[in-house]
Amino acid sequence: MENLHSVYLEEAEDLFSKIEESLLLLEKSPDDSSLIAEVFRSMHTLKGSSSMYGSSKVADFVHNLETIYDQVRGHEIELSQPIIEATFKSLDHLKKIVQAPDIPDPIDAKYHEKLTAEILGLLEDYSGEIAPAKKEVNHSKCTYFISFTPDKAIFSDGTNPLLLIDELKDLGPSRVYTSIDKRLKSKSYDPKKCYTSWNVILATEDDVNPIKDVFIFVEETSKIVIEKISDVDLLGLSEFTSQLPPNDLNAKLPALKDFKKLVKAVPAEALTRSAEDSLHEDEVDGQEEEKLQKSHGKEEAITSIRVSADKLDELMNQVSELVTTQAGLSLYAENNFDPTLNAIADNVEKLSRQLRDIAFEMTLIQISNLFRRFNRVTRDISTQLGKSVKFITEGGETELDKKIIDSLADPLMHLIRNSLDHGIESREERVKMGKPEKGTIKLSSYYSGAKVYIQIEDDGRGIDAQKIREKAIANRLISKDDQLSEREIYDLIFVPGFSMAKSVTDISGRGVGMDVVKKNILDIRGDITVESKIGQGTKIVLGLPLTLSVIDGLLVKVEATSFVVPLGDIKKCYEIKRDELSNDFNELITLEEDKIPYLDLRKEFLIKDENPPEKASIILLENEDNKIAVCVDSIVGEYQAVLKPVGKYYRNQEFVSGATILGDGSIALVLDAYKIIARKIVKQKKSA
Amino acid sequence: MRSIEEQEHDNEVMESYLSFKLDDEFFAVDVKKVIEILEVPGITSIPLSPDYMAGVINLRGKVLPLIDTKVKFGLESIEFTVDTCIVVIEIEVEGEVLQIGTLVDAVLEVLEVPQSAIQPSPSIEAKYRLDFIRGMIRREDEFIMLLNLDQVFSIQDVMYMQEANETMSSEELTEK
Repeated sequence: MENLHSVYLEEAEDLFSKIEESLLLLEKSPDDSSLIAEVFRSMHTLKGSSSMYGSSKVADFVHNLETIYDQVRGHEIELSQPIIEATFKSLDHLKKIVQAPDIPDPIDAKYHEKLTAEILGLLEDYSGEIAPAKKEVNHSKCTYFISFTPDKAIFSDGTNPLLLIDELKDLGPSRVYTSIDKRLKSKSYDPKKCYTSWNVILATEDDVNPIKDVFIFVEETSKIVIEKISDVDLLGLSEFTSQLPPNDLNAKLPALKDFKKLVKAVPAEALTRSAEDSLHEDEVDGQEEEKLQKSHGKEEAITSIRVSADKLDELMNQVSELVTTQAGLSLYAENNFDPTLNAIADNVEKLSRQLRDIAFEMTLIQISNLFRRFNRVTRDISTQLGKSVKFITEGGETELDKKIIDSLADPLMHLIRNSLDHGIESREERVKMGKPEKGTIKLSSYYSGAKVYIQIEDDGRGIDAQKIREKAIANRLISKDDQLSEREIYDLIFVPGFSMAKSVTDISGRGVGMDVVKKNILDIRGDITVESKIGQGTKIVLGLPLTLSVIDGLLVKVEATSFVVPLGDIKKCYEIKRDELSNDFNELITLEEDKIPYLDLRKEFLIKDENPPEKASIILLENEDNKIAVCVDSIVGEYQAVLKPVGKYYRNQEFVSGATILGDGSIALVLDAYKIIARKIVKQKKSA
Repeated sequence: MRSIEEQEHDNEVMESYLSFKLDDEFFAVDVKKVIEILEVPGITSIPLSPDYMAGVINLRGKVLPLIDTKVKFGLESIEFTVDTCIVVIEIEVEGEVLQIGTLVDAVLEVLEVPQSAIQPSPSIEAKYRLDFIRGMIRREDEFIMLLNLDQVFSIQDVMYMQEANETMSSEELTEK
């Protein structure tokens, strides 16, 4: 049961985001029938699984919503802003109540009632606006009469007759008449029994079989009558629909002969006209049909399965173990000159690499999952602030490690909020400055090298570097004489406690928490940079590793300890003699006629050994601004490092980003190149 | 092990403790917190970490941080002998259960002690920080100090000492 519940919640979560996405698109193009169909379908599924899981309150609630979209789909009502607004509100509410379907909180319960009333109100509002001009007529559509009197004990085998009626309604435009047996009011009333029966007029392109299929599980016990009453779509003809009796629960059901009479009353001229009309609509219908078929096909063929994230994590762990074990095997094979063993070790290596790649790929998910969330938030916040903002996302198909995406949600949210709140100006201000009234925030993502970049760009007022500088001097972060590059100045906003609120925009908030954003990004081995032009906008770029679990690195040695330096940060390697370093007071080394500051890891890590080897190796590290040479004892070779955390106890040794286990079972430390560069720069500044 | 019935017959609840030696003093930890006892494998030390952080080891594919318990208690740093062991314990740090390895001079035995035999630690001879010690067990002529593990190895404490260490080492550097 617990398991079922979590599956249900997961599915609901998916559906919510699907509906939200479609709704946001619908706001822009309210006439897109495929989107409306999409919303309807999602709601229908949601209703189905909700009632299956037993949360009838949720199911009922969704049912009302669904009815609205059914009518929208049938062109009975128009998709208006109030409907969309109400749907958003309902979604928020649903997200809450699916967690606790009994709605224990009285405040929620009240809200639930209010929303239900609002939705029903929308339904009633529009029910009068049935546009007679819009006819969905198709010459291939026929009109059927279906009478369904379920067996009284139908509930006992778990069948919900309403779902069957819904299924019927899915087949095409319909009119449903419901009647309740008089015994419902008598004393012999048994709540476990069904006293309701239905008569349905249905116009569908299908033949009689799909209709029969609907009742396939109840046909033996229930009374079912299906009869074709016309070869045209009668429900598309006002001459017919206007004659239909109203649906009255207590009245007797209009019987088949009643309808037959009505059909005869429809003028023949109207019937032929409807056939002609439909010819013109053929093309459109064809397209729609194709779309429908496509989406149906999607549902039928199982191309993907749902696996819990825990299982994937476990798989990744096991594969990592395998890679480590395989490294041990390869090492052993290398040292024991047995050709058979060597061949086996080679094969295992190949297999484990393939397995690793596949497993690794599985943990990647598209970043669009994350972007979608911001769509909604941006819309809400901008409405709240009274700003009009166009939110564009690009590159949603970029794939990233699930863990990275998870830890990106908060920082990105913060950055987008900042852009909305402080970046984008008010409408009036924008007009005054000659900018388009609507602000733009662009969230994009792309691959470059071994990294994924995520950009948040706005065309707002930008950040004033001069003001940051002044503020930093006032806060004694820098001194007046310090020469800082523009980038270094912008980096100051990430210093804890450095709020630019007063100095830049006079609106509190900006700058608060930017240090947390930076910390979150650094935690996943990413980096963050800010570019800004006053009056033109701000661009924040996040650079992220593809994965947190495996990195390509260079295995090096300093004394007895092995280190792994990420390959992506290494520019070049050189071999030198150790004496070349020792004479230098400025700690600069000449490499290819370039003077580059260097860091001797022996000295840096306070290794006390008076006899360093004669030869040493230099690794040239490079980031956007700086080149640093790092001196190590020797370079062992390339190494695929499975990253493992060194634990909280070592969090002050931040130049170590993790550890990895080597083939012989010993541990190598993975160095964070950026932190090492930063260390060197700090030292240089201190000595200068 | 005694069966449950036997234990129920006793009015007193017996608790098990693992005792070990640091220099010539005896300490004990709650057996429920002990995961396993290891011989000392190859240790990878992490540069610039405080003295009592002895490095990391590979525990069946996991990276296990090691603490030199002796340095932590203000003794000389540990010298490896045949008796040196790593006691892997589980502690709760910042709401998370972690495993760490503690280096000790020798592991002795598992003691069964009734709760009443645990005496409050004497505050007169405050050689160790009082919040580190949960109580004392008297065993013949010896006193065995019962450790409050979560406190001894709490990260705040580790961080605090680490900061102290770092300022020291940077001072050393500037002196040079």
